[in-house]
This record gives sequence, structure tokens and C-alpha cells, in this order.
Amino acid sequence: MRSKLAYIASENFAPYLFVLPVVIFLLLMTVFPLVYSLFLSFNEWNLAFGTPRHFVGGQNYLKLFNDPRFWNAMLNTGYKVLIGVGIQFLLGLGLAILFNRKFPGKGILLAIFILPSILAPVVAATTFRMIYNYSYGPLNFILDKLGIGTFNWLGSSALALPSIIAVDSWQWTPFMMLVLLAGLQSIPVEYYEAARVDGADRFQAFFRITLPLLRRSIAIALIIRIMDAVKLFDLVYVLTNGGPGNSSETIPFYTYLSGFKHFRMGYTAAMSYIQLIFLIIMAQLFLRIWKQGEA
Amino acid sequence: MNINSNRKYGWTILMALVSLIYLSPLFWVLSTSFKAKNEFFTYPPVFIPETINFSHYIHGLSLGGYQGIINSLIIATGATVFSLVLSIPAAYSFAHHNVGGQNLSFWVLSIRMLPPVAVALPIFLMYRNLGLLDSYLGMILIHSIIDIPFAVWLLKGFFEGIPYSLIESARVDGCNLYQAFYKIGLPLVAPGVATAALFCFIFSWNEFIFALILTRKSVMPITVVLPNMIGGHEVLWAEIASLALMASFPVVILAFLLQRHIVRGLTMGALKQ
Repeated sequence: MRSKLAYIASENFAPYLFVLPVVIFLLLMTVFPLVYSLFLSFNEWNLAFGTPRHFVGGQNYLKLFNDPRFWNAMLNTGYKVLIGVGIQFLLGLGLAILFNRKFPGKGILLAIFILPSILAPVVAATTFRMIYNYSYGPLNFILDKLGIGTFNWLGSSALALPSIIAVDSWQWTPFMMLVLLAGLQSIPVEYYEAARVDGADRFQAFFRITLPLLRRSIAIALIIRIMDAVKLFDLVYVLTNGGPGNSSETIPFYTYLSGFKHFRMGYTAAMSYIQLIFLIIMAQLFLRIWKQGEA
Repeated sequence: MNINSNRKYGWTILMALVSLIYLSPLFWVLSTSFKAKNEFFTYPPVFIPETINFSHYIHGLSLGGYQGIINSLIIATGATVFSLVLSIPAAYSFAHHNVGGQNLSFWVLSIRMLPPVAVALPIFLMYRNLGLLDSYLGMILIHSIIDIPFAVWLLKGFFEGIPYSLIESARVDGCNLYQAFYKIGLPLVAPGVATAALFCFIFSWNEFIFALILTRKSVMPITVVLPNMIGGHEVLWAEIASLALMASFPVVILAFLLQRHIVRGLTMGALKQ
């Protein structure tokens, strides 16, 4: 009997035993809380007022759709993702092409270049708080000396969000560059030689060979960046705190405020669920592309 | 020949220049960290401070920076160890026994994509009831939900790189599954484990939103201490800059160690370099 138990433990169930701790841990730390917050999203509950929780059905979701601040944050997030990731992609691709050749010192330069993507977003934000400083920052000083003038980067509602996007792009362009460079380097040189023999010029080679073969790298880099950009919080918190007014508020930042400054639990949970639905769609897309690459 | 080598170095100089301009914001932090009080509120701004000394570094550390760095170290190390202990066997099982088919492993991966702010609210309420707010354990556990999906997927790729025949022949020689795992599988993926460990550490070290919400004072990591200083003492830019640099130092070192695996790591193994 004992040896039989030992046999089962050692053989048939071992693969399951190996996976079990991870599954239990993730169930406890993510699925359980998310089920709870789904329940919360159908309740009215304000921790600050100390009123008891009560069921309100879909009212939180209805209120959300009528909340102009929510739509402002949605719009800001969309704008941020579209413009930010767009800039990172184009700059990253350009830099990857520049780096995609043999030259002395390439390894060291690449290792240094990736630094912004390794730093904590909080550190990047702190750095640019100094750079953007209206009166004493070096950016306005340089622009002024060039005769362009000075700008209130973080203090004007027109510039606050673009300034945040610029920092995010500074941080993540190197990531894009590195991923795209890895893709570029995996394209065999023979393809370009064959194309040249066939009389293709540089542009034709780029659009007919480089881009199609880079498709998977581009898709993965874009999706990872979009998923992270949607979550953008740190930079907003440190650089502008959502201001001036609500002009640079993103969805995660508004969620944070409504949950941890206004203590509206049900409302926050509902807002979280809207984000979850979006993220699930993105994740599906990502997994499909991943599976394609594995097949 | 000569022209060729000139062109080669020409490209190096061009790219070094591009890199220098790109990273110039970091030089501003470095220069600010040495500035005396009268040097940061001036116009024109001071680019190179008059004296180079580390007094602001020491002062920054004494203003909570030291405790913040220690807290970050404890949390990041704890989360890394905990995540790896759970992830390594799971990754092995996914790679060589296909437990749960593709769905289970993709479910694990999808956790990585959860928006932290959506999880933070229920976790905050849960932690409040369990007394885990502002505790090392609470922070280690929450950072592990970021690290585990990443580590499982990265390591799964490394385990898949070991030919199954190696493990089979060990089994034929009388190893049971556990022995085959830790005698054959584990040593062969040691580089993968090291890569996963360094990345887990970096993710945890850099994490902000969970730390902001789930810590109050005693276990507050450096990523939360830093922005608090900006609000608290707007004047102490030299201390803030020197703390920002000290907070970056560990991850910069790790990034250099990771160089060969950085693309694979940053894309969770989706792209191999």
C-alpha cells in the first residue's frame, strides 16, 4: 500500500504536483479578488462615508457611461496609446535600421542604449521633472537660446499630456529598437542579395522583404507596448498628478483616484472591469500571434 | 581598405553621438546630484556643478532613501525567490508533460497582462482584512503575480530547448520523475533560471502602483520614497537626483549582465534573440 502511494506520488501525479502551487497561488491572488470586485461593481459602497454596502445592479456601469471625467480619461488613454506607441514604433524602427550593420563598439552602444527601458518609470519621471522645469530646466533654456521660446511643459493643459507621452516614448523607444533589431538580424542577407540581382532598389527591398519578414516582431512589440501603455500610471502620478485640471488624467489614474482618494469601491470596481474587458481582447490577440509563431 | 575602416569608425562615431544625445537627460540627473543649493534655482541653469562631492548622496540616504533601498532589496529578493520556487517546476511540467494543454499555460501568461490598478482594489480590501497591508509578505506576494507568469513562460522556453531524449534516457537509467527534473532538467536550464531571476528582480524593483497602494511607511520601497520627496521637499533636487541614481544602480548592473537575453526576456520568450 505504502509503496503504491509512493509510486503515485513519484510518477503519475508528479507533473500535476509541479503545476499545482502556481495554479493555486494565481487563483488566490488574481481570480478570487477579481470575482470579488465583479460582485463589488454591482454594489454601492463608499469607504469614506462608512455607509453599508448595498446592491444597485448595473447602476455603476450606467453612471460610468455618463461620467464626462471617465470619457476624458478614456480619450487621454487612447490618445496616449495611439500617438505614444506610434512614435516609439517609428523611432524604434529607424534606430534599429541604423544599428543593423556591423561596426566597432556596437555591442557596448546597444547595451547603453537600452538603459531607459530598464529604469523604473518613476526614475524616468523624476528625471523629466527636472528637465521640464519651467524656469530652471535645461530644456527651456536650450529652446530659448535657439530662439524657439519657452513652454510650460507640465503646467499647461495643452502640453501636459504630450509631455508625458514624450517621456514614455523616451523610455520605450529603445525597447522597440532592440526587438525590431533582433527581427532585422534574423533576416538572411541572401534575400537582399537575390533582390539586388533581380534589380530591386533599397525601397523595394525594404517594403517587399524587410517589412513582411519583420511582421511577427512588429506585432509582438506593438502588442506588448499597447498593453503596457494602457496601464500607464507612474508617469502621470509623478509628472502631473493628472493635471492641470483633468487634462492629463488616464484611465488607470482616474481608477486610482476614485478608489483610493474618493473611496468609491463599487464605482472603481466597475471601472476596473471595463479595463479588464479591453485587456482580455488584447491578450487574445497576443496569444493568437504567439501561437502562430509556434506552429 | 583605409577608406573602408574610416567608414566603419565613422558609423561608430555617428551612433555614439546618437546614443549620447538620447541619454543626455540622465547626464542632467548626474549633474544635479552634485549641485549645491544655490546651483539649481538659477538662470541660466548650471550644467556642470562647481564641486563634485557625494554629500547629497549621504543626505538623501538619511532622508528615508536608505530604508527605501533596503525595503526594495528585501521585497525584490523575496519576490524573485518565491516566484522561481513556484515557477521552475511548473515550467518544466508545461514544457515536458504538457499539463493542462495549451489553455492552462496561456491562462498563466494572461495574468501578466492584467492591469494592476484593476487588481489593486480587491487586493487592498483583502489585505486589509488579513493584516497584510504595509508588510513585506504582502508586497512579496503581490509582486509574485507579476513575476510568476513571466518566469513560467521564459523558463518553459528554456526547458523546451532541452531534447526530451535526455530526460527519457535518465528515466531508463532508473531516475524517477523528480530525479530526472532536478538532476537533468534543472542544471541544463541554469542560464534560463539566472535570466528569469534577474528579470523578476528588476520588475519588482521598478514596480510602483502596488507599492503605492499597499505600503504606508515601514516597508515603503524606493520607488515610492522618491516621488514622496518631490512633494515633500521641492527644494532638495540634489538629494532626489542622487537617490534616483542610486535606485537605478542595481538594475543597470543587472541589465548589463542580461545583455544576451534581453530581447527574449522583455518579450516573455515570444522572440528569441
